[in-house]
Amino acid sequence: MKKKQILLYTAFFLIMALLPLVANSKWLAVGTTFLIFSVVALSQDIVLGKAGMFNMGQALFFGLGAYTTAILNAKFNWPLLATMPLAILVPALFGILLAGPIIHLRGDYLLVTTIGFNIVFVQVLQNNLGGITGGPNGIFGVESLSLPGLADSPQTSAFYLSLIVLLITFVLMHNLEKSKAGRALHYLREDDLAAGAIGINTRVYKIFSFGLGAGMAGMAGTIYANQYSAVSPEAFDFVQSVLFFSIVIVGGSSIPGILLGVFLMFVLPEIFRDFATWRYFIFGIAMIMTMILRPRGLWPASFGNIPKELIRGDQNGR
Amino acid sequence: MDIFLQQLVNGLTIGSMFALIALGYTMVYGVMKLINFAHGDLVAASAFVGLMIYTNVLGGSISLFSVIAVFLLTAVVIAIVGVLLERIAYRPLRSAPRLSAVVSALGASMVIQNGIMLLWGPQMRIFPDLLPQVYWEVGGVIISLIQVIIMLLSFILMTGLYFFIEKTKMGTAIRASSIDQDAARLMGINVDNIIVLIFIIGTSLGAVGGIFVGLYYRGITFNMGWQYGLYAFVAAIMGGIGNIPGAMIGGMLLGLFNAFIAGYVSSTWFYLYSPHCHPYCPTNRYSG
Repeated sequence: MKKKQILLYTAFFLIMALLPLVANSKWLAVGTTFLIFSVVALSQDIVLGKAGMFNMGQALFFGLGAYTTAILNAKFNWPLLATMPLAILVPALFGILLAGPIIHLRGDYLLVTTIGFNIVFVQVLQNNLGGITGGPNGIFGVESLSLPGLADSPQTSAFYLSLIVLLITFVLMHNLEKSKAGRALHYLREDDLAAGAIGINTRVYKIFSFGLGAGMAGMAGTIYANQYSAVSPEAFDFVQSVLFFSIVIVGGSSIPGILLGVFLMFVLPEIFRDFATWRYFIFGIAMIMTMILRPRGLWPASFGNIPKELIRGDQNGR
Repeated sequence: MDIFLQQLVNGLTIGSMFALIALGYTMVYGVMKLINFAHGDLVAASAFVGLMIYTNVLGGSISLFSVIAVFLLTAVVIAIVGVLLERIAYRPLRSAPRLSAVVSALGASMVIQNGIMLLWGPQMRIFPDLLPQVYWEVGGVIISLIQVIIMLLSFILMTGLYFFIEKTKMGTAIRASSIDQDAARLMGINVDNIIVLIFIIGTSLGAVGGIFVGLYYRGITFNMGWQYGLYAFVAAIMGGIGNIPGAMIGGMLLGLFNAFIAGYVSSTWFYLYSPHCHPYCPTNRYSG
């Protein structure tokens, strides 16, 4: 199982790394988008899938990262990569600050609150708070990074940068699962009362998951700003959060499942261009059908190495 | 003072619409403990269905009969869609994890919203003048016939619903199911039928709300369900979700709040979405 997983991921990264050799710039752009949204969906998975908190405002943190990069790069002329630490730190801090007062809310109530945060965020951007967010049009003219040796092809640079960020995300997700924090989040999702009873500080770990998820989404924001060289409010509105939320649940909150979800949502419509207007209609039907036929998602996540015979019911005891 | 009274009238008008739509959210949540994300899109669909019934079925004639027919037929069509929605997307997930039902509701919302787009096109349609454009000036305040009808009809419907819920046997069954489904079943209440009833009432009220939106704002788009749905949803939350009189009061408060902010401060801070923003935009993300 373990070996198979490593093999699978290595193959995935090798194929992705070789993509620029065969794909033209349009498909490379599609591929970059796939990588960026995969990172955001994985960051959403930390809060929603791993910790089991109904967060429907992930686009807020994604947008915060993208705006941090865009403002520092386009208005203060920071080099693009230098903005990345701040683009991770600012959303992470915001994630912690915003999660603090609402973390005791459960289920639908948390969902509603995070929707509210996301709407407030987009409103603030559109009303050009402090004169730096550029209002409804957003910010243009973010520098396109060129990696060494790829100076003539900014699209290839953007692709490889995104691939590196996705790789970092994979390592983070893998380490999280193997760590004390990852186990704590898993128990939290199963039953936060029981988790508290066995000595897990539920409040701290819930806030931690928000902060980590927000930081990762912010990192994706930097490569988003680099890829499109512009940011605008509607790219981060509540509907985007809904998409990420659905991708995680439909995918089954496992890494392959989420990548599959992002692929179905963002790449497949590119392949079937003639049906582009049917995209959300079909995806909506697919969401309903998946939930009815496979309530735990297309590729359900498993946790740890618990032998099958010790598990009553299914993996998550539902 | 004039602006105060004027905004009071405007606020009560939009508040009535929000309240009617909010009732659909709150009633479904009360019994099923599920946020019916598709409700806002059913409201948008009802404006389009109303438009279609008026132009294609009734041939565009304006009379008292056609106005009543548009309201009734739309409510029936949307109620049927609502019951089908419950049967197809929600009933199989009654015992599934909470998240599955939420995602199914989001999927249903996408299907209805994009179904409207595929049927009627992505461009804005203008809702017909079902009611004559009559205005009165009362003490410096301008009131249109449409506003009077919206407020009056909403008031009648909401009072009717209140008495239905509080005074009839079926209403008692609804309240019992929302307190505890299992206990209600033990008392001999068929909860499945109650849920169907909830969907019929909620979606018909939403359908009336959708036609009001068309009458009052004129322009209707396939994606407006998110916007009005979200307002109504906020109203339902303000009133305490699951609480029927709460949704009515929440809707009114939100409407008044909306009108006074628009009248005294600035309207830009109160739009949830700019009208140019297209949720689920069908245009291609990668072009250009």
